[in-house]
Amino acid sequence: MLRRSICLATAEPWPENATLYQQLKEEQILLSDNAASLAVQAFLQMCNLPIKVVCRSNAEYMSPSGKVPFIHVGNQVVSELGPIVQFVKAKGHSLSDGLDEVQKAEMKAYMELVNNMLLTAELYLQWCDEATVREITYARYGSPYPWPLNHVLAYQKQWEIKRKMKAIGWGSKTLDQVLEDVDQCCQALSQRLGTQPYFFNKQPTELDALVFGHLYTILTTTDELSEKVKNYSNLLAFCRRIEQHYFEDHARGGISVRLS
Amino acid sequence: MAAPTELFCWAGGWGLPSVDLDSLTVLTYARFTGAPLKVHKITNPWRSPSGTLPALRTSHREIITTPHKIITHLQKEKYNADYDLSARQRADTLAFMSLVEEKLLPVLIHTFWVDAKNYVEVTRKWYAEAMPFPLNFFLPGRMQRQRMEHLQLLCGEPRPENEEELEKELYQEARECLTLLSQRLGSQKFFFGDAPASLDAFVFSCLALLLQTKLPSGKLQAHLRGLHNLCAYCSHILSLYFPWEGAEAPPPRPAPTGPDTEEEPYRRRSQVLSVLAGLAAMVGYALLSGIVSIQRAAPARSPGPRALSMAEEDEEE
Repeated sequence: MLRRSICLATAEPWPENATLYQQLKEEQILLSDNAASLAVQAFLQMCNLPIKVVCRSNAEYMSPSGKVPFIHVGNQVVSELGPIVQFVKAKGHSLSDGLDEVQKAEMKAYMELVNNMLLTAELYLQWCDEATVREITYARYGSPYPWPLNHVLAYQKQWEIKRKMKAIGWGSKTLDQVLEDVDQCCQALSQRLGTQPYFFNKQPTELDALVFGHLYTILTTTDELSEKVKNYSNLLAFCRRIEQHYFEDHARGGISVRLS
Repeated sequence: MAAPTELFCWAGGWGLPSVDLDSLTVLTYARFTGAPLKVHKITNPWRSPSGTLPALRTSHREIITTPHKIITHLQKEKYNADYDLSARQRADTLAFMSLVEEKLLPVLIHTFWVDAKNYVEVTRKWYAEAMPFPLNFFLPGRMQRQRMEHLQLLCGEPRPENEEELEKELYQEARECLTLLSQRLGSQKFFFGDAPASLDAFVFSCLALLLQTKLPSGKLQAHLRGLHNLCAYCSHILSLYFPWEGAEAPPPRPAPTGPDTEEEPYRRRSQVLSVLAGLAAMVGYALLSGIVSIQRAAPARSPGPRALSMAEEDEEE
């Protein structure tokens, strides 16, 4: 997926009133967007940069690239994790400076793996699995809008996502095949993590933030996908560790559901 | 006796065993593992059992078309190049394949099918020369439209003023991807030591297409040429697993005549048909426009039939 990078300003210090915009947490936000938003929040926490989370029902339309979350820092607006990482780096904060070249290559590759498999599986579950679509997605996606706009927007989005799934070859997959792919991805992540606290030993990087965002959301909001993740105890421990370290300590209240 | 497994793929050209990325990946993997495949190198996708290339017909007459699925099938049949990999290396395989698919593949499609100069002078030229009549008139165009659509779905709809910026960013990410691959490879012979694995098949096919083809507009090619370990990696695999493809480089000119000799009966038939059609058109035009008119000729010819009948009477007498 292409990330559009915004022209970056000179390195001004990080302001106190930086805000992150996402959709309404209780009624509207969907699985994949929640995961992305959580990943960005975790990343900013790991960099020790204060951020305020603001929920708006039209966050998707406010975003410069159409994707949530996006951050509003000073007079800059940046969306999606990739450009946000670059933006933060331009301001002088980086989590991956201590990595050597091979590790940086691996980090980028694993981030692509998460986007390629976990994110696509989440989108599939949300928009292509009929049961979930009927029961959850349609109701949530259009909830802030009156009838018939809520139906129209939901159908439009579903059609768009289905086209994309077909283009990348996921259109003909069954739910079982998707679950198998998720399992493969979790196995790869579990292998890479091993017994280390973070993916690149002692210090967390943007990869840790991304994996945490997706796995935590999967564990707390889905049934079938979370079963696959629960098979890997080191991934569970990893999520708990980051939750305790970066969210409970700061008492952000950004995560309201705790891991069991 | 089970039927042999057959692989249908695009024919070779530009110094490579196949000009199509997916076909090249499958061929390379088959060579790595020594899988006994009956390879049909064809230039007419309508002759393949599934209508697209590459296609694998297994010994149970099942048809498989996606490269990932073909390789999984071969792995199930015990031709597994990833057998000796550790679990961590398998995880790395998945990760790097995702990286190549997300960052490098869209730009490869763009370079060969969307970039105007490359498409007209290299890609379309090869496909139009190789495909039989009359497919060569419309199939390359259709393939291009399909790939452009695919690319747009992958990368999002470009707004007209953003198109150039989008392109620049795509190429920037692809260059970064190549550099990352180069760093991961280091000075090793293959990505996981001394024996090739499925990741090598994927990466090799991308790199070989970029390196070997003479592209008029090759921005990515120039960057790749600067990464010497990747170039050495490509030529090493080519010389080791496809040693006679280099000698096949002159035969690409006979190669278009190769499929031509096969298509000769069709070609002659179509030539005869076109001559007949031309004649019919000319005669029809002549009659319709009055150059040759039956009505005018009828009074002129009337002594003729009379002369004929007189001749007949003479004969009878």
